[in-house]
Amino acid sequence: MKKKLLLIICFSLIGFLQAFAQNSTISGTVTSKEDGLPIPGATVKVSGTSGGTQTNSAGKFTISAPKGSTLIISFVGTVTQRVVVGDQSTINVAMVASSNSLGEVVITTSLGIRHSEKELGYSTAKVTAKELTESNVTNIANGLTAKVAGLGIYTLDNSVDPNVSIVLRGNRSLEGNNNALIVVDGVPIPGGTLASINPKGAGSAALYGSEASNGAILITTKRGTGDNKPTVIYQNSFQFEKVAFYPKLQTQFGIYGGEAGKYLDPNTGFSKYVPYENQEYGPAYDGSTVQLGAPIGSADGPVQMVKYSPYPTSPIKAFFNTGFTEQNDISFSQGDAKNSFFMSAQNAYRTTVVPDDKNIKNAFSVRGHRTYGIFSADYSVGYTKTNISTYNDITTNGVIGSYVTTAAFNDLYSSILQLPAFLDIKKYQDPDGFYGNPNDFYDAYAINPYWVIKHSRRNEQKDVILSQLKLKLEPTSWFDVSYQISDNFGIFQERDTKQEVDFTSYAISDYFSAGNVASGFPTGKSPGFVSDIYQYGDGSNNPVNGYSRIQGDAVLDFHHTFFKDFKTNLILGNSIRQQNIKTQGTSSSNLLIKDFYNINTIAGAPNAGEFELVARNVAYFGDLSIGYKGWITLDATVRNESDSRLAKAQRNFTYPSAKLAFIPTDAIPALKDNKILNYAKLYASASQVGNIDINPYQIFNIYAVPPGFPYGSLGGLVPNTQNYSPTLKPELTREIEFGTELSFFDSRIGLNATYYKQNVKNQTVPISTSSTTGYTSSLLNIGETESKGFELTLNADILTQAKNKFGLRIGATFSDNDSKVISLLPGVGQLSLGSGQFAVVGQPFPLLKGTDFVRDPQGRVVVSSTTGYPSTAPGLTTFGRTTPQYDMGVNLNLSYKFISLAAIAEYRGGDVIFNGQGGALTFTGASATSASAGRERFIYPNSVLQTSPGVYVPNNSVSVVNGNYGFWQTSAFSSTVAPFVSSGAFWKLREVDLAFNLDKLVAKHKFIKGASFALTGRNLFILTPKSNPYSDPEFSANPATSNLRGVNNTGQTPGTRVFGANLKFTF
Amino acid sequence: MFFALGISSCKKNYLGLETNPNNPSTTTPNLTLAAGLNNATNIINTVYSQDGVWMGYWTPSGNFVPISTIQEFQITNTSFSNVFNNLYSNLTNLNNLQTLAIKDPTLANYQAIAMIMKAYDFQQLVDQFNDVPYSQAFQPSTILFPVYDKGIDIYHDLGKQLDAAIALINKSGGAISPGTADIVFGGDMTGWKKFANSIKLRLAIRVSTKFPADPLVTDLASTANEGYLDETTQALTNPGYSNTLANGSSQQSPFYQIYGLNTTNNPTPNNVLFRANDFFINTLNGFNDPRLKAVFYPTLPAGADPADVPTIIKGNVFGDTKTTLTNSNTSAIGPGLLQSPTQDAVLFSGSESLFLQAEAAVDGFITGNAQDLYQRAITASFVALQAGSTVTYTGNGQFSYTPAAPAASAALAVTYYNQNVKNVGWNASTDKKQAIIYQKWISLIGYNNLESHLEYERTGFPVLPNPISIDPASVSDIIPIRQFYPLSEVNTNPDNLAKEGTIDIFKTPIFWARTPTN
Repeated sequence: MKKKLLLIICFSLIGFLQAFAQNSTISGTVTSKEDGLPIPGATVKVSGTSGGTQTNSAGKFTISAPKGSTLIISFVGTVTQRVVVGDQSTINVAMVASSNSLGEVVITTSLGIRHSEKELGYSTAKVTAKELTESNVTNIANGLTAKVAGLGIYTLDNSVDPNVSIVLRGNRSLEGNNNALIVVDGVPIPGGTLASINPKGAGSAALYGSEASNGAILITTKRGTGDNKPTVIYQNSFQFEKVAFYPKLQTQFGIYGGEAGKYLDPNTGFSKYVPYENQEYGPAYDGSTVQLGAPIGSADGPVQMVKYSPYPTSPIKAFFNTGFTEQNDISFSQGDAKNSFFMSAQNAYRTTVVPDDKNIKNAFSVRGHRTYGIFSADYSVGYTKTNISTYNDITTNGVIGSYVTTAAFNDLYSSILQLPAFLDIKKYQDPDGFYGNPNDFYDAYAINPYWVIKHSRRNEQKDVILSQLKLKLEPTSWFDVSYQISDNFGIFQERDTKQEVDFTSYAISDYFSAGNVASGFPTGKSPGFVSDIYQYGDGSNNPVNGYSRIQGDAVLDFHHTFFKDFKTNLILGNSIRQQNIKTQGTSSSNLLIKDFYNINTIAGAPNAGEFELVARNVAYFGDLSIGYKGWITLDATVRNESDSRLAKAQRNFTYPSAKLAFIPTDAIPALKDNKILNYAKLYASASQVGNIDINPYQIFNIYAVPPGFPYGSLGGLVPNTQNYSPTLKPELTREIEFGTELSFFDSRIGLNATYYKQNVKNQTVPISTSSTTGYTSSLLNIGETESKGFELTLNADILTQAKNKFGLRIGATFSDNDSKVISLLPGVGQLSLGSGQFAVVGQPFPLLKGTDFVRDPQGRVVVSSTTGYPSTAPGLTTFGRTTPQYDMGVNLNLSYKFISLAAIAEYRGGDVIFNGQGGALTFTGASATSASAGRERFIYPNSVLQTSPGVYVPNNSVSVVNGNYGFWQTSAFSSTVAPFVSSGAFWKLREVDLAFNLDKLVAKHKFIKGASFALTGRNLFILTPKSNPYSDPEFSANPATSNLRGVNNTGQTPGTRVFGANLKFTF
Repeated sequence: MFFALGISSCKKNYLGLETNPNNPSTTTPNLTLAAGLNNATNIINTVYSQDGVWMGYWTPSGNFVPISTIQEFQITNTSFSNVFNNLYSNLTNLNNLQTLAIKDPTLANYQAIAMIMKAYDFQQLVDQFNDVPYSQAFQPSTILFPVYDKGIDIYHDLGKQLDAAIALINKSGGAISPGTADIVFGGDMTGWKKFANSIKLRLAIRVSTKFPADPLVTDLASTANEGYLDETTQALTNPGYSNTLANGSSQQSPFYQIYGLNTTNNPTPNNVLFRANDFFINTLNGFNDPRLKAVFYPTLPAGADPADVPTIIKGNVFGDTKTTLTNSNTSAIGPGLLQSPTQDAVLFSGSESLFLQAEAAVDGFITGNAQDLYQRAITASFVALQAGSTVTYTGNGQFSYTPAAPAASAALAVTYYNQNVKNVGWNASTDKKQAIIYQKWISLIGYNNLESHLEYERTGFPVLPNPISIDPASVSDIIPIRQFYPLSEVNTNPDNLAKEGTIDIFKTPIFWARTPTN
């Protein structure tokens, strides 16, 4: 609870009115036109009277009205409908979302189900299915980006299966999980498989307890339509993806890498061209013809001669492809007020900018709803199969993905950055070919990047099943009971293979005596590798959080309006769940036969491992809500949980919440029917939630087998380095929130403003302890963090298309999140969180720290009076927070006749990033920065000399002793963190969509009911401050499960822009 | 099914899932002992590469970008930080063993071994960091911020612990023998007593230069009759090393594993990185020392045809950036050190113990013939390094190796120490202790680079080049005389650490060390 639940509203109702005999009785169903779902809680009243009713949970109403009168059906976020009563006894109404729609997805922070929008004592935000998917996202998290205030979507890399982190209202846990809970059709599923959901439709909310301590995103999938006519929708979209953000590179200097002797000019000390180098500190390009690499095949073999001037296309740009995605969706739906059926299938094929990376997804789902008198059943089953094939340059089971074992930079992107500007990379496209093979590749130290692409692969298959069945009895008008079971699980399979490389004796003999790669393999063989991983869980490869889960929820719901005005709702429930992960893996680098990858066909023993986690949780909850006349609602909840991850004495915990919503425009007569302010809501809430931020079995100390053991029959055990304690308690999050929702001018302008403050106590943190205590960390409940901020959402319907032909809507979201560490363990002022980031008492977190140069009191860099080089200061300097403090989204919608244009831009700022790529670029000498002084001696800008202790004078005389390799590569410049820290701010043009509604074109067609076509673009432009010439600041070297952003490395290929088109037919 | 789940929740133990199916929460004395001894051996054999460079044995390869910490001494508290934490990690295990064994008199031998090994590891800590947590260490549930004890106090207590361990073994009549779990002496408790006594001797000799009257020195006689390690009783570890992987981790002997060839017989990164040092080669050539060919492979002169047969031993001058030779023209770590992937790993060599005894005899701390001990020490080193072995070039940078018989190596040693060369021949050396340290320096190459460095800080021998690194970016003319406390201590135990004051790794000596000159 707390934070925000992004949900699709499922309202409930109450309130019946007696019908009077002189009128005819009209009944009917109110549904949403968009998705056919019944709308509970819609108001139905007879024009000119004060009475009225609301639709029940099935969207049904019964009202009595005289013939010829007009029924007014209204519902927040939809266009009010008027129907004249004739002879009919049934009136079914399909509500159309108003342009300023309270759409299908609502963000909220509630424990309770069944509250109408006016009763929600917390902030809500909404994203319609259309908004979510209008730019052809393949991952629905991307579709939410910049659309909801306070919702941070972090796309951490650019791969074919990207890491996405979803955080509501910033980080609150220091080291625990901060990701929001994803709930589909009332069933919690892990964020990792969000991409495998069909993003359609609207939905409902439930209670998620401690799991939702970081907020939840609630998605309800589409059901059948309400008019009993079958509908078939076919949609095709395709997209192209191109690299948009290359680091700034130099094209002036060729290759040299610190070689001594004959490669240094004896008189000038200048570097000479080195034909086999991977670093670009050589002489300036001069258009001459030079030898590249050793003679091919043998010392007498052909010699590559190339022109020593930049190749027209930089090898880095030439390497990356244009990615392509095609997605086909087809769905069938049919339904009436009692029953519905929906079926869909999707195929998505994606390649990305990295050659040969592929993601193929096939998804099927069936959903339905059936009502038999007082009994109803609702079910859904979805199956998704995803096959992913990517290059594998990371270390798996201790084996490096590339065949080099001695170089520091041997991942794919690093090896690309080691290609000099004069290289025609396409010549080396075949890693087994004449120029490109490992024996003859020109570079002595870096490997041909195409080798990794072709011969070091990771193939994954994810099979995921999400299923749910809900049974419900509604025996009376004031009570119903339901039981829902849900079972989500998946199988993750991964096979990593790396091809054996065989070196010729000529290659090993190292023609240039350079210590080339081949000379590191005097046996002539760099072994191949095979690794298999199988994981039963949620279908992801997360061995710690990727749980399968089976859950049962029983809910008793009492609802009655007392004394006409007191609408009361009491919910009592029980929830039981079990989560389970089991992983097994084998690997070997001892293949018997080259290119044959099977763990049975190896020499020696395989590397094998298994890991299992089981967690269980039993919860009881209650939610009492009392509303008066629909304009004030008080809601109180309490939840009790018992969790198997804690020791018996701490296992059981209880937490409450209270919320208040007030509608002045309904309560205060003077504000009623106000032409300017047509709707206002004020709300406030205070809530607590207990949260368990530990994995199973982290309460008793354990022992592990150290590397090398067992030696034959001799075993060994060492204590774990982390100290566990059975006294661990749940974390306790307290949140207060208040805000307002205002609508002006017949809901044409909407403004939401929310302030919140969250305090988390008893943070369960693996606090680093002195290794002298016997453990390097201890899992403890310590300290407190505070996170507060405000969120603003503004929507303005400036021109309504219906009236003006032109439609113009603008909107903006803004959030400010300020986090602070209030206390840690007594005696500990800071806590290392890893990746150079810390939690420091009194400071925001995570805070980036790192080494800086020695500076004088004015902050100027002190350089050596002999070398002119700066030096690294002892200790660490604080650079700033690594999560954005400010996040602003701006959106614009223009429409004219059947054409509409939508654009969304986003700004994030207030944070810093460490560009790990900067180090790699300085190492290779490829960065523009490294050539900024023309590789000449220069005076370090704004530097000072220390003339005597504490006395500093501006340095006008001492230039760096070596402005080339010496300064950029070997001085303290490249090994200090500070030069590679920059602002993390950016502006991105997130989405541009130009859509054509072709319904009129097909209006006369027998079968086709609707058609539309759209051109879409995502991340078309990015603006970053000058201090960041390196990378997309959103990217992160840490996975989504880590809280640490703001540190990138060469594991992320450069950022891309995406453009495409989308065609949709409705039958 | 769900209702069934609901019902099962009513069962008493539905939430009782404390038992970890992945890792045991208990251990046995044998499992802890084997792991503790193995790990202690790994540390001494593998984490002191930088000391090997600084002591003039090795230079970082000319194929790589210079390593600024090693070559330029741009050292911070994140450099080499595995030393402190690895030692405390192993000490935790040994302390657990001691706690486990203390409760059961039949585990007296285990208790004694734990005490001896704790002394072994703690001495490494004091010798590199001076004051470290000792009296308040290993109490995670009560003391999260252990105070730093004075180095000399720890030394004194280690001496007492060693005495107590020897006494414990002497009266442990009915105790269980650790047997094969004792991967050093195979359960032979006499070996452990000699090992304990040798550590005690090492502690005493270390303090003796500055504090000749220290109780550690004067107490040496009390246990002298227990004997010391020597050429026949050495502290060598071998749990059953093999040239294979166990669950992805190499089972090779640790020195070989880090500095030799991997299980697929290709060079490891450190084998490529650490090459011969010009200083060592020149010194040993001056001594006509045949061990030079044992500790380094031959290489080709610069500019030679790659097809030629390598014959010379060559290294770089430490810190050279202008005329640096690449690996094709510098010598790799040799076959005398990298004898086999299953070689015994040295925990405390007989040679070192004999040198210590020789020095103690010179100073009269123990009785014995200093010259005899000195010459036995040299012989032990010759035999250990298989001096006089045959190395034959087989092409493609590969060699075949035929080890010399121990007797042949010993014979070479006799010829060697009978030379009329200062710091080699006993009679040719006026300063006997200088000769002992020079010879100990040669004998400690590779397997105990740290001890070599520590003895340099105590004695100033061998006389190293000045400046030690000729890299123009080097920030010091001398090698570090101690280590920084690691960043982890700054972060996790700041208040206690602050009491140690500002550490200057070039100026703040360990309590027993000389004040460095220049």
